[in-house]
Amino acid sequence: MPADILGPISQSPEDEDTIDEDALAEIMKTVPLGAGVLAGGAVALLVLGYIMIYVLVFLPRGVVG
Amino acid sequence: MSQAHPEAHERRILRTELLWSFGVGVLIVATLGMIVFTAVTRDINPPSNVERIDPKNLHLSGEFAEHNLGTAVASDGSVVTRVIATQFMFSPRCIAVPQGRPVTLRFASPDVIHGLLITGTNVNTMVIPGYVAQVHTEFARSGDLLMPCHEYCGLGHSEMWATVQVLSDQEFRPDGDGRVRCAQR
Repeated sequence: MPADILGPISQSPEDEDTIDEDALAEIMKTVPLGAGVLAGGAVALLVLGYIMIYVLVFLPRGVVG
Repeated sequence: MSQAHPEAHERRILRTELLWSFGVGVLIVATLGMIVFTAVTRDINPPSNVERIDPKNLHLSGEFAEHNLGTAVASDGSVVTRVIATQFMFSPRCIAVPQGRPVTLRFASPDVIHGLLITGTNVNTMVIPGYVAQVHTEFARSGDLLMPCHEYCGLGHSEMWATVQVLSDQEFRPDGDGRVRCAQR
């Protein structure tokens, strides 16, 4: 059986680290930005919902204490 | 292959995490600030009242005796409404309150834990046997509001509700004893 269809299991230890560090560095430049945009967008939607309920529902319902 | 790359990655990730932490800190402070600002300027606070009462003879004598339930206007013009929450009804079943005036709502339970809210308002409290639940509020609009029990209190829980009748100045007329009852409509 050819080695390439056996997948990673068949690889010898010296073949494992075949990651191109430059390509990884290029990707890692944008990963934090992407994570920030995704998490920031999700939190922004949550905060927007909170503020809308606070201003449009909670405050008009009046004084309580 | 340069060894500086992993360090550069870590620095970039650390910078992003610090920026995120700062943003979350700003959000937390802003949210707490909104709550404090509303409490100070609009007088909107969580109801807080620790006052003991004996649940065994609640309805026999004292503040929550039957003749004293409902809405009363004191000589100084303050409006106090007293209601008993019991399995499975509120007594009285209809309470009259004025529109646009401060009202103090006082609730007590002789049996189990109840809870209540008044629809369309921020009134929402638990009623725990042995304690008086007190809420200060002001009703902005006139009309009939529903006041259901919102804490499961037994098999008849779903039947436990009352009506809050918010009356305009013309309709909110205390009788000779300062008591106000629901208008017949």
